[in-house]
Amino acid sequence: MPVLSTKDGYEPKIIAYLCTWCSYTGADTAGIARLKYPANLRAVRVPCSGRVSPEIIMRTFDQGADGVLILACHIGECHYETGNHRTAKRFPILHSLMTFAGLEKERLRLDWVSASEGDRFSKIVNEFIATVKSLGPANWRVTSSDGIVVDRRMGVSGSDRVDRLLARVSQQRSPTSSQQQFVLNSHTANAEKSSAIQSVARQLLESGEVSLVIGYETGPRGRTRPAFINHPEDVDRLVWNQECTHNLATYLHGRLKTDAAAQSNQADEERSKRIAVVVKPCDSRAINVLTVENQIQRDQVHVIGVSCEGILEGSGFKSFADDQNSPYAFQSRCQSCQINKPVVFDTLIGEVSESRKIQVSADLISSQELWDLTPGERAEFWLSQFDRCIRCYACRQACPQCNCPTCLYERDDSLWVGMGTGLNEKRTFHLGRAYHLAGRCIGCDECEHVCPVGLPLSLLNQMLAQEVEKVFSHRAGYSMEASPIVSKLSGEERLP
Amino acid sequence: MNYEGFCTRDALVNWLDDLAGQVSLVIPVNDSGFLLYRQVVSVADIAWLVGESGPSTEQMYPHRPVLAVKEMFFPSTEPLVKIKKKAQQVLLEETLPDKPQVVFGVTPCDARGVRIMDNIFIEDLPADAYYTRRRENVTMVGLACQEMGESCFCTSLGGALDDPSDMDIMLTEFEEGFLIQVVTEKGRSLLGKQKFYSDTSTLNLDQVTNRATHAAISPLIPIPDIEAMPRLFNHEIWDRLAESCLSCRICSYVCPTCRCFDLRDEMLPSENGYECYQRIRCWDSCSRDAYRRIAGGHTPRATEAERLRNRIFCKFNYSPRQYGLEGTVACTGCGRCIDACPVNIDITEILGCLAEVVNE
Amino acid sequence: MNRKVDKNQMIPYLGKITQVNDLAADIKLLGVELSNGGAEAFCDYNPGQFAFLSAFGVGEAPFGIASTVNRGNVLEFAVQRLGSVTTALHELGEGDYVGVRGPMGNSFPMEQFQGKNLVVLGGGIGGAPLRPVIQTILDNRNDYGHFSILWAARHSSLLIFTEEYENWRMAPDTELHLTVDRADKLWGHNIGLITDLLEKVAPSAENAIAITCGPPVMIHFTGKMLSKLGFQPKQCYVTLEARMHCGIGKCGRCNLGNKLICVDGPVFSMAEVGELLESFL
Repeated sequence: MPVLSTKDGYEPKIIAYLCTWCSYTGADTAGIARLKYPANLRAVRVPCSGRVSPEIIMRTFDQGADGVLILACHIGECHYETGNHRTAKRFPILHSLMTFAGLEKERLRLDWVSASEGDRFSKIVNEFIATVKSLGPANWRVTSSDGIVVDRRMGVSGSDRVDRLLARVSQQRSPTSSQQQFVLNSHTANAEKSSAIQSVARQLLESGEVSLVIGYETGPRGRTRPAFINHPEDVDRLVWNQECTHNLATYLHGRLKTDAAAQSNQADEERSKRIAVVVKPCDSRAINVLTVENQIQRDQVHVIGVSCEGILEGSGFKSFADDQNSPYAFQSRCQSCQINKPVVFDTLIGEVSESRKIQVSADLISSQELWDLTPGERAEFWLSQFDRCIRCYACRQACPQCNCPTCLYERDDSLWVGMGTGLNEKRTFHLGRAYHLAGRCIGCDECEHVCPVGLPLSLLNQMLAQEVEKVFSHRAGYSMEASPIVSKLSGEERLP
Repeated sequence: MNYEGFCTRDALVNWLDDLAGQVSLVIPVNDSGFLLYRQVVSVADIAWLVGESGPSTEQMYPHRPVLAVKEMFFPSTEPLVKIKKKAQQVLLEETLPDKPQVVFGVTPCDARGVRIMDNIFIEDLPADAYYTRRRENVTMVGLACQEMGESCFCTSLGGALDDPSDMDIMLTEFEEGFLIQVVTEKGRSLLGKQKFYSDTSTLNLDQVTNRATHAAISPLIPIPDIEAMPRLFNHEIWDRLAESCLSCRICSYVCPTCRCFDLRDEMLPSENGYECYQRIRCWDSCSRDAYRRIAGGHTPRATEAERLRNRIFCKFNYSPRQYGLEGTVACTGCGRCIDACPVNIDITEILGCLAEVVNE
Repeated sequence: MNRKVDKNQMIPYLGKITQVNDLAADIKLLGVELSNGGAEAFCDYNPGQFAFLSAFGVGEAPFGIASTVNRGNVLEFAVQRLGSVTTALHELGEGDYVGVRGPMGNSFPMEQFQGKNLVVLGGGIGGAPLRPVIQTILDNRNDYGHFSILWAARHSSLLIFTEEYENWRMAPDTELHLTVDRADKLWGHNIGLITDLLEKVAPSAENAIAITCGPPVMIHFTGKMLSKLGFQPKQCYVTLEARMHCGIGKCGRCNLGNKLICVDGPVFSMAEVGELLESFL
């Protein structure tokens, strides 16, 4: 379709995903009635708006669209009954995500039409094109991998607000005086818990109830790391301290004999029938999510839940034993953690209180501070972060909920994102992964902790968790309830 | 040591600042708290790196960036050939790199890694055109380390904190500034552009405190003998060592000598009616679980233990046997993999375990 | 081995598809004609060597060259549709261009095989790189001893080069045995695994060479059966694949222990790789 050229030269490229049954027909109706809509709009006909996945929308912007419009049937009128429910539920989450990452919110729109509403179709389309045109070109797609980042480091287009935020990305990880309200456990307290964990492990292994206990140990360099104990005589390796950062639930999926596993490539003999795993309160939520998503069977896991007083920043990567008198900082997830009791457990270790006071340091960057920026500033912030990414996928590998046999973003045909390290690709990978975790992420922040270049992924996940709670009143893993975004299509669920 | 001359700190900063105006200069830069090789955009970056209070005071020791200098010669993504298609017509355009660059602040372990990769990409025929071209275009100016990091073990592999052998120019810090060695003709021609240093006749070299040679050296790690390794192949120790591996790719990506890559055609915007694609290669790692999957789904090395074993063997047995590597192994003792592994899988611990098994 | 030093080995030659024949279900035989530099590179290749075919816009995959150089300047490749590259290749027709890189790898030491009895075992698409071996033997029949061909597939519809079986069978002092795991009603030959067939045929190991190509599991069990029949490792040859990417010994993917399948192979004797094959399977 030829693009109309005008005096000012810029004509937005709009892609409209039109559902066959309503809006595509609506477009026809508009045409039959000789209602006008500009030729900027390129229509893509889909069998149902539910077909328009977030990957498609992100890809559309990646390829240079200035605006994306999705037109769906009214709720209750879907030809496939609940296809548009998917659209209704996923859209607000995707919209928040993309605007948080710097897309102007007017550029992505979802609206509802029926086949007979030619007028309405025409009105929406014209409105949308006018709005997108007034915003100018989208500039979402970065055409070279060092475009914006080089510019900002040369002080050309940077804003002070973004500069200050960028400086705080690394400062967040440093010790500050505002950490005083957190208390370091005494050696005795840690030793008591370690001992209790060892006892439970010994008993479980000796009785044959489990064939493997996954817990924590101290490595030769003094760093705390995951430990896999198969024999009762090795349980003395197990420790508990405030460096037990890893989310050990991530190991369950690959090691349990389940029906799904039996059909997979991996040798069945290497898998265990029953495993015990040491989890902190945050990690325990992952157990619930894995169970409700049928990735593990609850009765195959003996959950050793441990109460937690906070984990130190830098855990797993350095030894704190030599640093007794040095300043310390607690991880950002601990600062906003409300629970010190695991939500699910078979054995409970340590004293618990039902809730705890949230004590967030002023150094931590909050979602609100990012929302307070302009879209352009937000885009700059995120691109400068994703620039460091090397696509090692450690974030994905460390996450218990990322357990797809083949990651969507690693397909051989590069369908959704290329495999290289261009800025566009790295941003799409991280935003896409964050979207897939919306409603499922339990906020352990291990993705951020394992990142070799410190991408502040927790900011993305946190923001989405807040959105999901706002829109669906759902918080992942506190109960055996699956994420409402994809798992419920009954029509009885609460739609946004 | 045969020193060409010496210069003051200020003179070095000025020279590099000038150089940055003439050619693309890449140095280790503090990017959001991580030391990464970046193109210099301001003299402040240079002053920070070679200043008195430089990387080591911010615990970026010695000055070893998260990623090795290999990314200058073997970048994480490299376009190989551009493909244009229209109906049955196909046009191919080779996309060879051609940007002259200088990288300053290279550690001896990184330069050793480049030498090892030279054996694979250039000496082993046929030479790789892209790597060879980058090797011609990039001049390496080394900076000796002033201390060994906690995870460094280059000395166990015959390295030294001020080893100049694989650089074009080598700088070593001392009380009055920096001692300069010219190692190659390429280095000489870079220095020759501007005389910012004095000759060493005014120095009493015997009394100079070369910080690199005065640094504390960590205890040596046992390096397995190539001939002894085959005995270790079927040992059950690999299961235990690899248990916690997440099969991410960090160790391979940060390593100065790892060079496995993936190859694919990806779409570009069309031009003048031609469909356009870019054939690219990018980093890959044998530690990921689908690395050796073949058509039909069969996956050799399906377990973490087999993959870890392959990685260690590749470094200490396969690569030396396949490529010669001038008698060394495909590891420079830089310690990056130790620092970066999220579950503390530690190559020195592994080598220690293997040594015990061999000596049983 | 043709290894040019100064040419960029990652850039393919353009090859025009001049014929497309259906060999079996989901398996096509592509005939590719090269010109200029490509024709020169491929003027002399040997049985066992392979080349990379590019489906431009999708990617590349390695294929054994299924033709012999003395039959003309058309390179033949048997392509089974399994993944994105092979699907794209299947969609091409006469006049379309593919990319060709090669010839790569080593080849079967046919001179060393002269005067010996030969047993060739081909399973499924694995038969493709063995076809030039068969053709070379039949072209120079007097140079070789007794010749047994054992040819297998999972199903009768997946047998390849069916039109050539008559020629093979008719050659002097040559036997052809076919077997499939499952067959349709018209099948009149053996049903069963190639290892069962091998045990039944029981070729003598005396002055003999066995050459196997097929899926990894077939190579593994055939190797065991050959050993049971008295074949020494140095009498057994295999040709292997491991999702090669560069083909020139750089990307490191195809290693079999310290050997690289792309440059030290793909043809190996079991004496060279016997133990290493454990990790391959």
